[in-house]
Amino acid sequence: MKIIACYSNKGGVGKTAASVNLAYAFAQAGKRTLLCDLDPQGASSFYFRVKPSRKLADTAFFEDVGKFTKSIRGSDYDNLDILPANLGFRDFDVFLSRMRNKRSRLKTALQRVKADYDVILLDCPPNISILSENVFRSADAILVPVIPTTLSQRTFDQLAAFFKEHDLPVKKLHGFFSMVQKVKALHVDTMAEMTGTHNRRLMKAQIPFASDIERMGLLRAPVMATAPSSTASKAYWALHCEIQERMKTT
Amino acid sequence: MMQLEIAGCCLSNTAMNDLEKADFGKLKTVQTQDAEAVDFTVFDCFDQSLRQSHRLLIETGDTLELFMADGQVLKQVARRAGNFVVDLSDGPVKQALSDLSALRSLLPVGSGELRHETLTLFDDVEKVQCRAQLRFLTTTDGGMLLVALQGLRGYGKALSQLGKTLESVGAIALGEVDVYTQLFPQHPRYRAKPEIAISPDMAAFDAANDIIAAYIPVARANESGITADHDTAFLHDYRIALRKIRAVLSLFKGIYGSEQTDDLKSRFSALMAVTGRVRDLDVYLLEQQKYYDLLPQSLHAGLDTLFNHLASERAEMLAKLSDHLRSKSYDEEFARLVKLFGSRKKLTRGPNADLSAKAYAGVLIWKRYRKVCEIASAIDADTTDTEVHTLRIHCKKLRYLMEFFAPLFPQEQINSLLKPLKRLQDNLGLFNDYAVQQDSLSILLSQFNEPSHTGVLAMAQSIGALIAILHRRQMEERIRALDSFVKFDSPQTRKMFRKLFKGD
Repeated sequence: MKIIACYSNKGGVGKTAASVNLAYAFAQAGKRTLLCDLDPQGASSFYFRVKPSRKLADTAFFEDVGKFTKSIRGSDYDNLDILPANLGFRDFDVFLSRMRNKRSRLKTALQRVKADYDVILLDCPPNISILSENVFRSADAILVPVIPTTLSQRTFDQLAAFFKEHDLPVKKLHGFFSMVQKVKALHVDTMAEMTGTHNRRLMKAQIPFASDIERMGLLRAPVMATAPSSTASKAYWALHCEIQERMKTT
Repeated sequence: MMQLEIAGCCLSNTAMNDLEKADFGKLKTVQTQDAEAVDFTVFDCFDQSLRQSHRLLIETGDTLELFMADGQVLKQVARRAGNFVVDLSDGPVKQALSDLSALRSLLPVGSGELRHETLTLFDDVEKVQCRAQLRFLTTTDGGMLLVALQGLRGYGKALSQLGKTLESVGAIALGEVDVYTQLFPQHPRYRAKPEIAISPDMAAFDAANDIIAAYIPVARANESGITADHDTAFLHDYRIALRKIRAVLSLFKGIYGSEQTDDLKSRFSALMAVTGRVRDLDVYLLEQQKYYDLLPQSLHAGLDTLFNHLASERAEMLAKLSDHLRSKSYDEEFARLVKLFGSRKKLTRGPNADLSAKAYAGVLIWKRYRKVCEIASAIDADTTDTEVHTLRIHCKKLRYLMEFFAPLFPQEQINSLLKPLKRLQDNLGLFNDYAVQQDSLSILLSQFNEPSHTGVLAMAQSIGALIAILHRRQMEERIRALDSFVKFDSPQTRKMFRKLFKGD
């Protein structure tokens, strides 16, 4: 089982769109996938038309494994389930460590309901200072969408610095350019510069700025499901393949 | 959606209208046709083991689907190396068929057209809450609708709602219905062991006639499978049916006039005799792997020669047997026998014909049991193989008698006697098989009187080694058989035999 966190300490960078489409891509590739909506805005659940679960506000929630497994919802697509939760961060730590522990009651309960996942994708809330380092430690990969602008570049630099300061494995950090507009000189220049600085921390696949992605809010489905042959869908698929490849080697 | 709950059931084709009109409250339904209609074929073994266990195996295009009695629907690729379960590609269907006989091939039962639709239940934001895969199966004389429910995790209410609606329009679990009658009403039932209703007061003459009349069609049902060479079990079942008939003729003494008894015996023996060699060769070839496992690699080349020889002999013998089974004279002979046991007017009554079945059964079984005990009492470490063979024959006859008349006695008690008897017979049977195999290998060896011929020397070595191993196994089995006899010959068993068949 692999845990992939999709994270950005800056809002509006296409993080949720990436989480939703990547989860869909993994599921399509035959991986049993659970997408955890950890963002308080609950946007990834919204895209899958899954209504938020009220029960999960309960702090004693993770003591009750049964309740947890019950709050998972099947998406409309094969191999893809959604956890529509707004977890507290403390609970979230517990969640990750229990998913890691093969003999934990959580893991056993999931196996019992045939929900033992190959991939758990976390749509993380955008706040590094509060989010525990444990997420970064537990995850196999941390995906970071970066809009090729000066501000985003600084944010990514800060994240990389944070990793080094806290002795976190920088190798787990996988940035990718998001909402890319190649007609803009700034985008092209920033990408060239960042590739120079961060090199292997940046993936080759890029997600373009596309109206198809914006329309996801209207259609409430992954763009890969509604417009599978669009440029955006092909970009997400390429991103998924590259992550798969990178996780194999780490 | 993780497919956590899939439940299958079936409906009559017309019930679909009711399902379309059903009310799902806040949920909306949409029905979509998934693809063009495709051809399907239903497969089963000739012994109908899938039908009897309420399973339905369907091939469409490159997919095999297995509908289980408990509602599970399993799927895998149809690609296969042959028609036996072992030949299927690895997958859930193959796994779920592992209980089928390894000797039985999967054969097409019939075919038709399959239309695939999906019924989806949505909520107010168009979120799917539950799906049902609808498979409309249409055949020349029938049809049905197979429904596979697919629940989505966290939407259990919608699933149970759909389940209840299906039930209300008449859906039945596969485990409770014979789908074969709905799809292929003309397809005959086959039972290698037909159920024969024998009552205590019926005349022994009628009981014998009923048993013979029930086994004749079993034998005939296997003819086409033998000639088509689907699998070796056809010939095996054919022979067993004839053997049961012969057992009635030889064990039920004084039922028919003595002249007619002799005539019938020789006619059924003749039918059986022509099948003997093919069956022997089948047994060798089925055991082929075992022989290879018994001998070291260095002797395998000799086995190759041996089995090539046996395989070509089998092909030749089977062709002869098939010609015989297709011949006019064979067909006419069987037709005469069918008529004889159908009208029964030309059957002559022997001195015991009018005894009541139960009284007659008691006498026969008790006598045979006494005989078995008599031989067994003399058995010790010095007993000759011939005596062990005699014991085997009597045990076999005893078992046939008890099985024929089983319906006349309390089932539990009969079974408690048959179980240890069967174990004993298995040992005796193996003992006999090893002896027969040694003999026939020796005979085979003597047929090759040109040892210089390529491969014959190697084969002779392999056969020699096999005979040595078979002899050792025979000795081991003999010890086991005698041990099983001691277990069979318990004071309780004796008491039970006396109570059931002697009546005191």
